[in-house]
Amino acid sequence: MAIRWNRLLPYLMIFPNVAIYFVFIFIPVLWAIYLSFTNYTILSPGQWVGLANFESLLKDGIFHKAFWNTMIFWVLKVMPTMMIGLIVATLLNAKIRGVAWFRGAIYLPGVLSSVAVSMAWLWLLDPRSGPVNAIVKLLGIPPQNWLQDLALAMPAVIVISIWTNIGFAMIIYLAGLQGIPSHLYEAASIDGATGLKKFIYITVPMLKPITFFLFITLTIRSFQVFDIVYILTGGGPLNSTTTIVNQIVKTAFEEYKMGYASAQAIVLLLLTIIVTIVNYRVGSKRTMD
Amino acid sequence: MKLRISANSLISAGLAIVSIFMVAPLLIMIFTSLKGDTELANAAGSLLPKNWKFENYILAMQTGQWGTYFKNSIIVTVFAVGGSLIFNSLSGYTFARVSFKFRNIIFVALLLGLMVPPQVTILTQFIMLKSVPLFGGNDIFGHGGQGWLDSYYALIIPELSGSLGIFLARQYYLGFPKDMDEAASIDGSGIFRSFWKIYLPLSGPLLATLGILKTVHVWNDFFHPLVYTNSEAMRTIQLGLQVFHGQYEIKFNLLMAASVVVSLPLCIAFFFFQRHFVQSLISTSVKG
Repeated sequence: MAIRWNRLLPYLMIFPNVAIYFVFIFIPVLWAIYLSFTNYTILSPGQWVGLANFESLLKDGIFHKAFWNTMIFWVLKVMPTMMIGLIVATLLNAKIRGVAWFRGAIYLPGVLSSVAVSMAWLWLLDPRSGPVNAIVKLLGIPPQNWLQDLALAMPAVIVISIWTNIGFAMIIYLAGLQGIPSHLYEAASIDGATGLKKFIYITVPMLKPITFFLFITLTIRSFQVFDIVYILTGGGPLNSTTTIVNQIVKTAFEEYKMGYASAQAIVLLLLTIIVTIVNYRVGSKRTMD
Repeated sequence: MKLRISANSLISAGLAIVSIFMVAPLLIMIFTSLKGDTELANAAGSLLPKNWKFENYILAMQTGQWGTYFKNSIIVTVFAVGGSLIFNSLSGYTFARVSFKFRNIIFVALLLGLMVPPQVTILTQFIMLKSVPLFGGNDIFGHGGQGWLDSYYALIIPELSGSLGIFLARQYYLGFPKDMDEAASIDGSGIFRSFWKIYLPLSGPLLATLGILKTVHVWNDFFHPLVYTNSEAMRTIQLGLQVFHGQYEIKFNLLMAASVVVSLPLCIAFFFFQRHFVQSLISTSVKG
Protein backbone atom coordinates (compact mmCIF):
# COMPACT_ATOMS: atom_id res chain seq x y z
CA MET A 1 0.00 0.00 0.00
CA ALA A 2 2.80 2.35 0.96
CA ILE A 3 4.62 1.63 -2.28
CA ARG A 4 1.58 2.39 -4.37
CA TRP A 5 1.10 5.72 -2.57
CA ASN A 6 4.73 6.65 -3.29
CA ARG A 7 4.19 5.95 -6.98
CA LEU A 8 1.10 8.08 -7.06
CA LEU A 9 2.54 11.02 -5.16
CA PRO A 10 4.56 12.63 -8.01
CA TYR A 11 1.44 12.73 -10.17
CA LEU A 12 -0.52 14.32 -7.35
CA MET A 13 2.18 16.95 -6.95
CA ILE A 14 2.09 18.01 -10.60
CA PHE A 15 -1.68 17.59 -10.84
CA PRO A 16 -2.83 21.18 -10.08
CA ASN A 17 -0.54 22.69 -12.71
CA VAL A 18 -1.13 20.02 -15.31
CA ALA A 19 -4.91 20.11 -14.84
CA ILE A 20 -5.14 23.89 -15.17
CA TYR A 21 -2.79 23.85 -18.15
CA PHE A 22 -4.83 21.12 -19.78
CA VAL A 23 -8.18 22.85 -19.22
CA PHE A 24 -7.15 26.45 -19.93
CA ILE A 25 -4.47 26.14 -22.61
CA PHE A 26 -4.35 22.70 -24.20
CA ILE A 27 -8.09 22.17 -24.78
CA PRO A 28 -8.75 25.81 -25.77
CA VAL A 29 -6.12 25.62 -28.52
CA LEU A 30 -7.50 22.41 -29.99
CA TRP A 31 -11.02 23.76 -29.65
CA ALA A 32 -10.07 27.02 -31.37
CA ILE A 33 -8.62 25.01 -34.25
CA TYR A 34 -11.90 23.10 -34.49
CA LEU A 35 -14.01 26.28 -34.26
CA SER A 36 -12.06 27.83 -37.11
CA PHE A 37 -13.78 25.29 -39.38
CA THR A 38 -17.27 26.18 -38.12
CA ASN A 39 -19.57 29.20 -38.17
CA TYR A 40 -20.05 29.06 -34.39
CA THR A 41 -21.39 32.22 -32.74
CA ILE A 42 -21.98 32.73 -29.03
CA LEU A 43 -25.69 32.64 -29.76
CA SER A 44 -25.88 29.56 -31.99
CA PRO A 45 -24.02 26.22 -31.92
CA GLY A 46 -22.89 26.58 -35.53
CA GLN A 47 -22.05 24.09 -38.24
CA TRP A 48 -18.98 22.69 -39.95
CA VAL A 49 -18.13 24.97 -42.86
CA GLY A 50 -14.80 23.50 -43.92
CA LEU A 51 -12.34 26.09 -45.15
CA ALA A 52 -14.95 28.80 -45.67
CA ASN A 53 -13.58 30.99 -42.83
CA PHE A 54 -10.09 30.87 -44.29
CA GLU A 55 -11.42 31.66 -47.76
CA SER A 56 -13.21 34.68 -46.28
CA LEU A 57 -9.96 35.74 -44.61
CA LEU A 58 -8.22 35.79 -47.98
CA LYS A 59 -10.87 38.21 -49.27
CA ASP A 60 -11.27 40.25 -46.08
CA GLY A 61 -9.80 43.68 -46.80
CA ILE A 62 -9.78 44.77 -43.17
CA PHE A 63 -7.98 41.62 -42.05
CA HIS A 64 -5.37 42.14 -44.78
CA LYS A 65 -4.93 45.66 -43.49
CA ALA A 66 -4.59 44.33 -39.92
CA PHE A 67 -2.07 41.71 -41.01
CA TRP A 68 0.17 44.17 -42.83
CA ASN A 69 -0.18 46.75 -40.06
CA THR A 70 1.07 44.12 -37.63
CA MET A 71 4.02 43.37 -39.91
CA ILE A 72 4.88 47.06 -40.29
CA PHE A 73 4.63 47.48 -36.53
CA TRP A 74 6.96 44.49 -36.06
CA VAL A 75 9.61 45.59 -38.56
CA LEU A 76 9.71 49.21 -37.44
CA LYS A 77 9.60 48.44 -33.73
CA VAL A 78 12.02 45.57 -33.17
CA MET A 79 15.20 46.93 -34.80
CA PRO A 80 15.22 50.39 -33.16
CA THR A 81 14.33 48.89 -29.78
CA MET A 82 17.26 46.50 -29.94
CA MET A 83 19.74 49.04 -31.27
CA ILE A 84 18.89 51.67 -28.66
CA GLY A 85 18.87 48.96 -26.00
CA LEU A 86 22.36 47.81 -27.00
CA ILE A 87 23.80 51.33 -27.12
CA VAL A 88 22.37 52.22 -23.72
CA ALA A 89 23.56 48.92 -22.22
CA THR A 90 27.06 49.53 -23.57
CA LEU A 91 27.14 52.97 -21.96
CA LEU A 92 25.85 51.52 -18.68
CA ASN A 93 28.52 48.83 -18.75
CA ALA A 94 31.25 51.48 -18.48
CA LYS A 95 32.40 51.83 -14.91
CA ILE A 96 30.70 55.10 -14.08
CA ARG A 97 28.89 56.40 -11.03
CA GLY A 98 25.16 56.07 -10.53
CA VAL A 99 24.66 53.07 -12.84
CA ALA A 100 21.73 51.80 -10.75
CA TRP A 101 20.00 55.20 -11.01
CA PHE A 102 20.36 55.39 -14.77
CA ARG A 103 19.30 51.78 -15.16
CA GLY A 104 16.26 52.35 -12.93
CA ALA A 105 15.22 55.50 -14.76
CA ILE A 106 15.55 53.91 -18.19
CA TYR A 107 13.63 50.79 -17.19
CA LEU A 108 10.87 52.68 -15.33
CA PRO A 109 8.40 52.87 -18.28
CA GLY A 110 8.62 49.06 -18.40
CA VAL A 111 7.07 48.78 -14.93
CA LEU A 112 3.98 50.72 -15.96
CA SER A 113 0.93 48.97 -17.33
CA SER A 114 0.19 49.35 -21.00
CA VAL A 115 -2.96 51.22 -19.96
CA ALA A 116 -1.08 53.79 -17.87
CA VAL A 117 1.46 54.22 -20.67
CA SER A 118 -1.34 54.74 -23.18
CA MET A 119 -3.11 57.26 -20.95
CA ALA A 120 0.12 59.25 -20.47
CA TRP A 121 0.65 59.42 -24.23
CA LEU A 122 -2.97 60.23 -24.88
CA TRP A 123 -2.33 63.44 -22.97
CA LEU A 124 1.15 64.07 -24.43
CA LEU A 125 -0.25 63.78 -27.96
CA ASP A 126 -3.53 65.57 -27.27
CA PRO A 127 -4.23 67.74 -30.34
CA ARG A 128 -5.57 70.77 -28.45
CA SER A 129 -3.37 71.25 -25.40
CA GLY A 130 -0.90 68.33 -25.37
CA PRO A 131 2.78 69.01 -24.58
CA VAL A 132 4.07 67.41 -27.79
CA ASN A 133 2.20 69.92 -29.93
CA ALA A 134 3.55 72.71 -27.71
CA ILE A 135 7.11 71.50 -28.41
CA VAL A 136 6.38 71.04 -32.09
CA LYS A 137 5.09 74.61 -32.23
CA LEU A 138 8.43 75.92 -30.94
CA LEU A 139 10.02 74.26 -33.99
CA GLY A 140 7.59 76.13 -36.24
CA ILE A 141 5.48 73.10 -37.16
CA PRO A 142 1.68 73.45 -36.95
CA PRO A 143 -0.09 71.32 -34.32
CA GLN A 144 -0.91 67.78 -35.44
CA ASN A 145 -3.75 65.44 -34.58
CA TRP A 146 -1.22 62.65 -34.00
CA LEU A 147 -3.49 59.73 -33.21
CA GLN A 148 -6.24 60.60 -35.70
CA ASP A 149 -4.01 61.27 -38.70
CA LEU A 150 -3.74 58.57 -41.36
CA ALA A 151 -0.02 59.14 -41.85
CA LEU A 152 0.94 59.79 -38.21
CA ALA A 153 -1.12 57.37 -36.11
CA MET A 154 0.90 54.22 -36.80
CA PRO A 155 4.32 55.89 -36.38
CA ALA A 156 3.09 57.36 -33.09
CA VAL A 157 1.98 53.95 -31.80
CA ILE A 158 5.32 52.44 -32.86
CA VAL A 159 7.37 55.13 -31.10
CA ILE A 160 5.36 54.65 -27.90
CA SER A 161 5.91 50.91 -28.06
CA ILE A 162 9.67 51.39 -28.60
CA TRP A 163 9.74 53.73 -25.62
CA THR A 164 8.20 51.08 -23.34
CA ASN A 165 10.47 48.26 -24.56
CA ILE A 166 13.89 49.95 -24.56
CA GLY A 167 14.34 49.21 -20.85
CA PHE A 168 13.75 45.50 -21.35
CA ALA A 169 16.25 45.30 -24.22
CA MET A 170 18.75 47.32 -22.19
CA ILE A 171 18.57 45.02 -19.16
CA ILE A 172 18.93 41.83 -21.21
CA TYR A 173 21.86 43.28 -23.17
CA LEU A 174 23.51 44.55 -19.99
CA ALA A 175 23.40 41.02 -18.52
CA GLY A 176 24.95 39.74 -21.75
CA LEU A 177 27.71 42.34 -21.69
CA GLN A 178 28.58 41.48 -18.11
CA GLY A 179 28.91 37.84 -19.13
CA ILE A 180 31.65 38.53 -21.69
CA PRO A 181 35.00 37.49 -20.15
CA SER A 182 37.21 40.57 -19.70
CA HIS A 183 40.36 38.74 -20.83
CA LEU A 184 39.04 38.92 -24.40
CA TYR A 185 39.14 42.71 -24.24
CA GLU A 186 42.53 42.70 -22.53
CA ALA A 187 43.98 40.48 -25.23
CA ALA A 188 42.55 42.79 -27.89
CA SER A 189 44.02 45.83 -26.17
CA ILE A 190 47.44 44.22 -26.18
CA ASP A 191 47.01 43.72 -29.91
CA GLY A 192 46.28 47.43 -30.17
CA ALA A 193 42.54 47.28 -30.91
CA THR A 194 40.56 50.48 -30.30
CA GLY A 195 37.19 50.78 -28.59
CA LEU A 196 35.09 50.62 -31.73
CA LYS A 197 37.03 47.63 -33.09
CA LYS A 198 36.62 45.79 -29.81
CA PHE A 199 32.89 46.50 -29.98
CA ILE A 200 32.58 45.13 -33.53
CA TYR A 201 34.88 42.13 -33.21
CA ILE A 202 34.27 41.04 -29.62
CA THR A 203 31.08 42.54 -28.19
CA VAL A 204 28.72 42.06 -31.11
CA PRO A 205 29.67 38.40 -31.85
CA MET A 206 29.64 37.46 -28.16
CA LEU A 207 26.14 38.94 -27.82
CA LYS A 208 24.71 36.92 -30.69
CA PRO A 209 22.64 34.52 -28.53
CA ILE A 210 21.25 37.44 -26.50
CA THR A 211 20.44 39.40 -29.65
CA PHE A 212 18.65 36.38 -31.00
CA PHE A 213 16.64 35.89 -27.81
CA LEU A 214 15.59 39.56 -27.84
CA PHE A 215 14.67 39.39 -31.49
CA ILE A 216 12.42 36.37 -30.95
CA THR A 217 10.80 37.76 -27.79
CA LEU A 218 10.13 41.20 -29.25
CA THR A 219 8.85 39.62 -32.46
CA ILE A 220 6.30 37.51 -30.62
CA ARG A 221 5.25 40.50 -28.52
CA SER A 222 4.83 42.58 -31.68
CA PHE A 223 2.57 39.98 -33.26
CA GLN A 224 0.40 40.13 -30.13
CA VAL A 225 0.14 43.93 -29.86
CA PHE A 226 -3.31 45.00 -28.70
CA ASP A 227 -3.64 47.11 -25.53
CA ILE A 228 -1.97 50.32 -26.69
CA VAL A 229 -3.69 50.26 -30.07
CA TYR A 230 -7.08 49.56 -28.49
CA ILE A 231 -6.74 52.49 -26.08
CA LEU A 232 -4.87 55.04 -28.20
CA THR A 233 -6.60 54.74 -31.57
CA GLY A 234 -9.14 51.91 -31.36
CA GLY A 235 -7.56 50.68 -34.61
CA GLY A 236 -8.43 53.88 -36.46
CA PRO A 237 -8.39 56.18 -38.30
CA LEU A 238 -9.89 54.11 -41.14
CA ASN A 239 -8.25 50.93 -39.78
CA SER A 240 -4.79 52.41 -40.30
CA THR A 241 -3.58 51.07 -36.94
CA THR A 242 -5.73 47.99 -36.48
CA THR A 243 -3.79 44.79 -35.79
CA ILE A 244 -4.44 41.07 -35.96
CA VAL A 245 -5.42 40.87 -32.29
CA ASN A 246 -7.65 43.94 -32.61
CA GLN A 247 -9.54 42.16 -35.35
CA ILE A 248 -9.75 38.92 -33.33
CA VAL A 249 -11.24 40.77 -30.34
CA LYS A 250 -13.62 42.77 -32.49
CA THR A 251 -14.84 39.75 -34.45
CA ALA A 252 -15.25 37.58 -31.35
CA PHE A 253 -16.61 39.94 -28.72
CA GLU A 254 -18.34 42.68 -30.70
CA GLU A 255 -19.68 40.71 -33.65
CA TYR A 256 -19.86 37.37 -31.76
CA LYS A 257 -18.49 35.47 -34.78
CA MET A 258 -16.42 32.97 -32.82
CA GLY A 259 -15.71 30.68 -35.76
CA TYR A 260 -14.34 33.47 -37.91
CA ALA A 261 -12.40 34.94 -34.99
CA SER A 262 -10.86 31.51 -34.36
CA ALA A 263 -9.66 31.39 -37.95
CA GLN A 264 -7.94 34.76 -37.40
CA ALA A 265 -6.46 33.44 -34.15
CA ILE A 266 -5.07 30.45 -36.02
CA VAL A 267 -3.17 32.87 -38.29
CA LEU A 268 -1.62 34.39 -35.16
CA LEU A 269 -0.84 30.92 -33.79
CA LEU A 270 0.87 29.90 -37.05
CA LEU A 271 2.97 33.07 -37.08
CA THR A 272 4.10 32.36 -33.53
CA ILE A 273 4.85 28.70 -34.26
CA ILE A 274 6.96 29.66 -37.29
CA VAL A 275 9.01 32.04 -35.16
CA THR A 276 9.42 29.41 -32.45
CA ILE A 277 10.59 26.81 -34.97
CA VAL A 278 13.12 29.26 -36.40
CA ASN A 279 14.24 29.92 -32.83
CA TYR A 280 14.63 26.20 -32.13
CA ARG A 281 16.45 25.52 -35.43
CA VAL A 282 18.92 28.34 -35.02
CA GLY A 283 19.32 27.53 -31.33
CA SER A 284 20.21 23.88 -31.94
CA LYS A 285 22.54 24.84 -34.79
CA ARG A 286 24.35 27.14 -32.40
CA THR A 287 24.92 24.43 -29.81
CA MET A 288 26.33 22.16 -32.54
CA ASP A 289 28.85 24.75 -33.70
CA MET B 1 44.15 60.36 -17.19
CA LYS B 2 42.53 63.56 -18.40
CA LEU B 3 41.13 61.82 -21.46
CA ARG B 4 39.62 59.09 -19.34
CA ILE B 5 37.69 61.49 -17.15
CA SER B 6 36.18 63.25 -20.12
CA ALA B 7 35.18 59.93 -21.71
CA ASN B 8 33.33 58.96 -18.55
CA SER B 9 31.57 62.28 -18.31
CA LEU B 10 30.54 61.95 -21.96
CA ILE B 11 29.02 58.57 -21.14
CA SER B 12 27.22 60.02 -18.13
CA ALA B 13 25.89 62.85 -20.27
CA GLY B 14 24.65 60.41 -22.88
CA LEU B 15 22.91 58.31 -20.25
CA ALA B 16 21.40 61.41 -18.69
CA ILE B 17 19.86 62.40 -22.03
CA VAL B 18 18.37 58.95 -22.56
CA SER B 19 17.09 58.92 -18.97
CA ILE B 20 15.37 62.27 -19.51
CA PHE B 21 13.61 60.92 -22.60
CA MET B 22 12.44 57.90 -20.65
CA VAL B 23 11.33 59.71 -17.50
CA ALA B 24 10.01 63.00 -18.93
CA PRO B 25 6.63 61.57 -20.01
CA LEU B 26 6.19 60.19 -16.49
CA LEU B 27 7.09 63.50 -14.87
CA ILE B 28 4.70 65.33 -17.19
CA MET B 29 2.07 62.81 -16.14
CA ILE B 30 2.64 63.72 -12.48
CA PHE B 31 2.75 67.50 -13.09
CA THR B 32 -0.39 67.35 -15.23
CA SER B 33 -2.20 65.47 -12.48
CA LEU B 34 -1.66 68.50 -10.20
CA LYS B 35 -2.87 71.21 -12.58
CA GLY B 36 -6.21 72.99 -12.41
CA ASP B 37 -8.76 72.76 -15.23
CA THR B 38 -8.12 76.21 -16.74
CA GLU B 39 -4.35 75.84 -16.57
CA LEU B 40 -4.65 72.48 -18.29
CA ALA B 41 -6.53 73.89 -21.28
CA ASN B 42 -3.75 76.39 -21.92
CA ALA B 43 -1.41 74.64 -24.36
CA ALA B 44 1.42 77.14 -23.88
CA GLY B 45 1.30 76.64 -20.11
CA SER B 46 4.39 75.89 -18.12
CA LEU B 47 5.65 72.43 -17.26
CA LEU B 48 5.13 72.85 -13.52
CA PRO B 49 1.66 73.61 -12.17
CA LYS B 50 1.13 77.17 -10.94
CA ASN B 51 -1.22 76.02 -8.20
CA TRP B 52 -0.54 72.52 -6.98
CA LYS B 53 -3.99 70.97 -6.81
CA PHE B 54 -3.54 67.88 -4.68
CA GLU B 55 -7.32 67.65 -4.37
CA ASN B 56 -7.28 66.34 -7.97
CA TYR B 57 -6.30 63.00 -6.49
CA ILE B 58 -9.36 62.95 -4.27
CA LEU B 59 -11.59 64.01 -7.17
CA ALA B 60 -10.07 61.32 -9.40
CA MET B 61 -10.68 58.61 -6.81
CA GLN B 62 -14.28 59.79 -6.51
CA THR B 63 -14.82 59.33 -10.26
CA GLY B 64 -15.89 55.70 -10.44
CA GLN B 65 -15.69 53.04 -7.74
CA TRP B 66 -11.96 53.10 -7.06
CA GLY B 67 -12.28 51.30 -3.74
CA THR B 68 -13.89 48.39 -5.58
CA TYR B 69 -11.34 48.46 -8.42
CA PHE B 70 -8.42 48.32 -5.99
CA LYS B 71 -10.07 45.61 -3.91
CA ASN B 72 -10.58 43.53 -7.09
CA SER B 73 -7.02 44.00 -8.34
CA ILE B 74 -5.54 43.17 -4.95
CA ILE B 75 -7.67 40.04 -4.50
CA VAL B 76 -6.91 38.78 -8.01
CA THR B 77 -3.18 39.51 -7.74
CA VAL B 78 -2.78 37.97 -4.27
CA PHE B 79 -4.57 34.73 -5.14
CA ALA B 80 -3.11 34.36 -8.64
CA VAL B 81 0.45 35.02 -7.44
CA GLY B 82 0.15 32.96 -4.25
CA GLY B 83 -1.49 30.02 -5.97
CA SER B 84 0.85 29.98 -8.95
CA LEU B 85 3.91 30.16 -6.67
CA ILE B 86 2.77 27.07 -4.75
CA PHE B 87 1.76 25.11 -7.85
CA ASN B 88 4.77 26.08 -9.97
CA SER B 89 7.40 25.38 -7.30
CA LEU B 90 5.73 22.09 -6.41
CA SER B 91 5.59 20.80 -9.97
CA GLY B 92 8.97 22.30 -10.91
CA TYR B 93 10.53 20.40 -8.02
CA THR B 94 8.73 17.19 -8.99
CA PHE B 95 9.88 17.40 -12.62
CA ALA B 96 13.45 18.16 -11.55
CA ARG B 97 14.08 15.80 -8.61
CA VAL B 98 11.62 12.89 -8.85
CA SER B 99 11.59 10.29 -11.59
CA PHE B 100 8.23 8.89 -12.60
CA LYS B 101 6.66 7.41 -15.68
CA PHE B 102 5.79 9.79 -18.57
CA ARG B 103 7.73 12.57 -16.83
CA ASN B 104 9.42 13.86 -19.97
CA ILE B 105 6.36 13.56 -22.18
CA ILE B 106 4.23 15.53 -19.72
CA PHE B 107 6.93 18.15 -19.34
CA VAL B 108 7.34 18.63 -23.09
CA ALA B 109 3.54 18.88 -23.44
CA LEU B 110 3.59 21.63 -20.82
CA LEU B 111 6.39 23.46 -22.65
CA LEU B 112 4.33 23.58 -25.84
CA GLY B 113 2.26 26.17 -23.99
CA LEU B 114 5.14 28.63 -24.38
CA MET B 115 4.22 28.81 -28.06
CA VAL B 116 0.55 29.61 -27.55
CA PRO B 117 -0.44 33.29 -27.56
CA PRO B 118 -3.03 34.13 -24.88
CA GLN B 119 -5.05 35.83 -27.62
CA VAL B 120 -5.64 32.41 -29.19
CA THR B 121 -6.82 30.65 -26.03
CA ILE B 122 -8.97 33.54 -24.81
CA LEU B 123 -11.73 32.78 -27.34
CA THR B 124 -12.50 29.27 -26.20
CA GLN B 125 -11.57 30.02 -22.58
CA PHE B 126 -14.36 32.57 -22.75
CA ILE B 127 -16.85 29.95 -23.97
CA MET B 128 -15.68 27.49 -21.31
CA LEU B 129 -15.89 30.02 -18.47
CA LYS B 130 -19.34 31.01 -19.65
CA SER B 131 -20.46 27.38 -19.55
CA VAL B 132 -19.30 26.34 -16.06
CA PRO B 133 -22.34 24.48 -14.70
CA LEU B 134 -24.29 25.71 -11.67
CA PHE B 135 -22.45 29.03 -11.48
CA GLY B 136 -23.63 32.52 -12.37
CA GLY B 137 -27.17 31.38 -13.15
CA ASN B 138 -26.16 28.38 -15.24
CA ASP B 139 -28.06 25.11 -15.08
CA ILE B 140 -26.33 21.76 -14.66
CA PHE B 141 -25.53 21.70 -18.40
CA GLY B 142 -23.89 25.11 -18.29
CA HIS B 143 -26.68 26.96 -20.06
CA GLY B 144 -28.68 30.03 -19.24
CA GLY B 145 -26.27 32.19 -17.25
CA GLN B 146 -22.77 33.58 -17.45
CA GLY B 147 -20.92 30.86 -15.52
CA TRP B 148 -17.59 32.05 -14.15
CA LEU B 149 -17.52 35.13 -16.38
CA ASP B 150 -17.57 38.40 -14.47
CA SER B 151 -16.27 36.69 -11.32
CA TYR B 152 -12.93 36.32 -9.54
CA TYR B 153 -12.70 32.72 -10.76
CA ALA B 154 -12.29 33.87 -14.37
CA LEU B 155 -9.45 36.21 -13.46
CA ILE B 156 -7.62 33.91 -11.02
CA ILE B 157 -7.95 30.26 -12.01
CA PRO B 158 -6.50 30.40 -15.56
CA GLU B 159 -3.48 32.30 -14.14
CA LEU B 160 -2.57 29.53 -11.67
CA SER B 161 -0.57 27.50 -14.17
CA GLY B 162 1.88 28.91 -16.70
CA SER B 163 4.51 27.12 -18.77
CA LEU B 164 7.23 29.69 -18.11
CA GLY B 165 6.79 29.40 -14.34
CA ILE B 166 7.02 25.61 -14.40
CA PHE B 167 10.06 25.77 -16.68
CA LEU B 168 11.91 28.29 -14.49
CA ALA B 169 11.06 26.33 -11.32
CA ARG B 170 12.34 23.05 -12.80
CA GLN B 171 15.48 24.82 -14.00
CA TYR B 172 16.05 26.15 -10.49
CA TYR B 173 15.66 22.80 -8.72
CA LEU B 174 17.91 21.06 -11.25
CA GLY B 175 20.69 23.26 -9.89
CA PHE B 176 20.93 21.48 -6.53
CA PRO B 177 23.53 18.70 -6.03
CA LYS B 178 22.38 15.11 -6.34
CA ASP B 179 23.42 14.10 -2.78
CA MET B 180 20.71 16.31 -1.35
CA ASP B 181 18.01 13.83 -2.30
CA GLU B 182 20.09 10.89 -1.08
CA ALA B 183 20.61 12.52 2.28
CA ALA B 184 16.89 13.15 2.47
CA SER B 185 15.88 9.61 1.55
CA ILE B 186 18.28 8.04 4.11
CA ASP B 187 16.56 10.32 6.52
CA GLY B 188 13.35 8.56 5.55
CA SER B 189 11.71 11.69 4.17
CA GLY B 190 9.09 11.30 1.50
CA ILE B 191 9.42 13.40 -1.62
CA PHE B 192 6.79 15.84 -0.46
CA ARG B 193 8.43 16.15 2.94
CA SER B 194 11.83 16.84 1.43
CA PHE B 195 10.29 19.47 -0.84
CA TRP B 196 8.61 21.11 2.12
CA LYS B 197 11.46 20.79 4.65
CA ILE B 198 14.58 21.06 2.48
CA TYR B 199 13.92 22.61 -0.93
CA LEU B 200 11.21 25.17 -0.22
CA PRO B 201 13.25 26.98 2.45
CA LEU B 202 16.03 27.29 -0.16
CA SER B 203 13.69 28.65 -2.84
CA GLY B 204 13.86 32.36 -2.01
CA PRO B 205 15.44 33.52 -5.30
CA LEU B 206 13.06 31.37 -7.36
CA LEU B 207 9.98 32.62 -5.53
CA ALA B 208 11.17 36.22 -5.88
CA THR B 209 11.62 35.81 -9.64
CA LEU B 210 8.32 34.02 -10.25
CA GLY B 211 6.48 36.32 -7.85
CA ILE B 212 7.69 39.49 -9.57
CA LEU B 213 6.94 38.18 -13.07
CA LYS B 214 3.42 37.11 -12.07
CA THR B 215 2.63 40.19 -9.99
CA VAL B 216 3.59 42.56 -12.81
CA HIS B 217 1.65 40.46 -15.30
CA VAL B 218 -1.56 40.21 -13.28
CA TRP B 219 -1.56 43.71 -11.78
CA ASN B 220 -0.97 45.28 -15.20
CA ASP B 221 -3.24 42.94 -17.15
CA PHE B 222 -5.82 44.73 -19.27
CA PHE B 223 -6.71 42.11 -21.84
CA HIS B 224 -8.27 39.40 -19.67
CA PRO B 225 -10.36 41.65 -17.38
CA LEU B 226 -11.57 43.50 -20.49
CA VAL B 227 -12.90 40.31 -22.04
CA TYR B 228 -14.00 38.40 -18.92
CA THR B 229 -15.76 41.08 -16.88
CA ASN B 230 -18.57 43.46 -17.68
CA SER B 231 -20.02 44.74 -14.40
CA GLU B 232 -18.81 47.77 -12.49
CA ALA B 233 -18.37 45.58 -9.41
CA MET B 234 -15.78 43.33 -11.09
CA ARG B 235 -13.61 46.00 -12.74
CA THR B 236 -9.90 45.95 -11.99
CA ILE B 237 -7.83 49.13 -11.74
CA GLN B 238 -6.58 48.87 -15.32
CA LEU B 239 -10.17 48.83 -16.56
CA GLY B 240 -10.99 51.56 -14.05
CA LEU B 241 -8.82 54.03 -15.97
CA GLN B 242 -11.28 53.66 -18.83
CA VAL B 243 -13.84 55.54 -16.71
CA PHE B 244 -12.15 58.82 -17.67
CA HIS B 245 -11.40 57.77 -21.20
CA GLY B 246 -15.03 56.94 -21.95
CA GLN B 247 -16.26 60.41 -21.08
CA TYR B 248 -17.14 62.86 -23.81
CA GLU B 249 -14.46 65.28 -22.74
CA ILE B 250 -11.51 63.66 -21.00
CA LYS B 251 -10.47 65.39 -17.78
CA PHE B 252 -6.79 64.79 -18.28
CA ASN B 253 -5.66 66.07 -14.89
CA LEU B 254 -7.90 63.52 -13.17
CA LEU B 255 -6.97 60.77 -15.64
CA MET B 256 -3.27 61.42 -14.99
CA ALA B 257 -3.87 61.41 -11.23
CA ALA B 258 -5.61 58.04 -11.41
CA SER B 259 -2.85 56.69 -13.70
CA VAL B 260 -0.24 57.74 -11.15
CA VAL B 261 -2.14 56.03 -8.33
CA VAL B 262 -2.52 52.84 -10.39
CA SER B 263 1.18 52.80 -11.30
CA LEU B 264 2.54 53.73 -7.90
CA PRO B 265 2.54 50.32 -6.15
CA LEU B 266 4.76 48.65 -8.78
CA CYS B 267 6.98 51.73 -9.13
CA ILE B 268 7.63 51.70 -5.39
CA ALA B 269 8.25 47.95 -5.44
CA PHE B 270 10.63 48.45 -8.36
CA PHE B 271 12.45 51.20 -6.48
CA PHE B 272 13.07 48.98 -3.47
CA PHE B 273 13.68 45.66 -5.25
CA GLN B 274 15.35 46.85 -8.45
CA ARG B 275 17.94 44.05 -8.28
CA HIS B 276 15.23 41.39 -8.05
CA PHE B 277 13.20 42.92 -10.88
CA VAL B 278 16.28 42.92 -13.09
CA GLN B 279 17.07 39.34 -12.11
CA SER B 280 13.54 38.17 -12.94
CA LEU B 281 13.78 39.71 -16.42
CA ILE B 282 17.18 38.16 -17.05
CA SER B 283 15.97 34.73 -15.93
CA THR B 284 13.45 34.66 -18.78
CA SER B 285 16.31 34.87 -21.26
CA VAL B 286 18.11 31.77 -19.99
CA LYS B 287 15.64 29.51 -21.75
CA GLY B 288 17.02 30.34 -25.22
